[in-house]
Amino acid sequence: MRLLALFLTILLFSGSSLAECRNKDCMTAQFELETMGHTFHYDEVFNIGTNWYIIFDYPENNTNKTITFEFYNGISKVHEYDNDLVTDSISFSGSTFNEEKLNLVLNITITSEDNSTSDFNLKIDINKPPADDLFYLWGGMTVFWTAIGAYVLYISSKFTKLRDK
Amino acid sequence: MKHEREAFGFLGFLLILGTLYFALIETGPAKFFTAPNAQKLFYLHVPSGLITYLAFLMVVGGSMVFLYNGSEYADNLAKSSTELGIVFGFMSLASGTFWMKAEWGGDIVNRFLTDMRLATTLAMWLLYIAYFVYRRQPDTLQVKKNAAILGLSGMLMVPLSYLSSRYLRSHHPVIVGTEDQGSLDPSLRFGLYLGLFGFLFIFIFLLKFRMVIEEMERNILKSKMEKI
Repeated sequence: MRLLALFLTILLFSGSSLAECRNKDCMTAQFELETMGHTFHYDEVFNIGTNWYIIFDYPENNTNKTITFEFYNGISKVHEYDNDLVTDSISFSGSTFNEEKLNLVLNITITSEDNSTSDFNLKIDINKPPADDLFYLWGGMTVFWTAIGAYVLYISSKFTKLRDK
Repeated sequence: MKHEREAFGFLGFLLILGTLYFALIETGPAKFFTAPNAQKLFYLHVPSGLITYLAFLMVVGGSMVFLYNGSEYADNLAKSSTELGIVFGFMSLASGTFWMKAEWGGDIVNRFLTDMRLATTLAMWLLYIAYFVYRRQPDTLQVKKNAAILGLSGMLMVPLSYLSSRYLRSHHPVIVGTEDQGSLDPSLRFGLYLGLFGFLFIFIFLLKFRMVIEEMERNILKSKMEKI
């Protein structure tokens, strides 16, 4: 039983060691909006199943209020500037997309304090990594049989003991 | 019927085999899922979750009746249902965790702390673990009464867990009673019902078996007391 618990724990937490990287160093692309002094760091490939991050450096003496990230399919996020920060980031869940797509447009709109807006587009590719989830399927399936099997063994041994009495 | 209990167990076993055949062989990898293979857990994860709710509602019912008229049968039902609720709850939570890891990714501990469906279901399960541990001491009237009061907390915990994904912050999908229910693919529905009835029959078999054992334990204890 202890070995089983150990096996399940290792199985569950093994994936956690592959933590997603949120550092600028991990980002493969950089875009600088020269007119505003804004720099965006992002990964050009959105891997389905892995959270996708975009990190942005605030312009000096920031007067912007909000920044909106919107994909073509209407999925969007609005982020408010926090002037106590120098760098900020937002993320999109790995389940945002389920199909591969090349050159997907991400529209970014910046709204300043006087409500004037400026926008630009970034292009990224949506990649669907090969299914490596069979590991989780068998892990999950194991749970059902071990739980029912262990319980049946438990009550059967209890029944045998009582019957002998 | 002489072998009614065994018939339930056998039928449940056959239905679960049918569910596995349907999920793993008959239908291909699911579309529109990040983890198309792990989605197969759906056919047993959802039924085990529903059976967990059923078991804990039976604990609530049994506890209520026991507190009302002191029925030994009701107390036996509550005690036996607790064990089964814990087993099916473990199945639901653990299989859901595997599926979640494949489909959503991210940190599991963080998800259990921030997703209200996961948090409330885990809390409900832990509460009945507490009931189970409490009942491992000798069954006096006071122990039974205290356990029944603890068992009644399911009146709050079961609806809270069930409704949390509708009204509280949660990523957990909601199908029953929403627009998505109608759009559920008929083949998906067939597999789901197969798994649900399979687990239901296994639950009935195990519950009847567990109640017989509990009854035997009580009779042995009673005869020992009479000898003293």
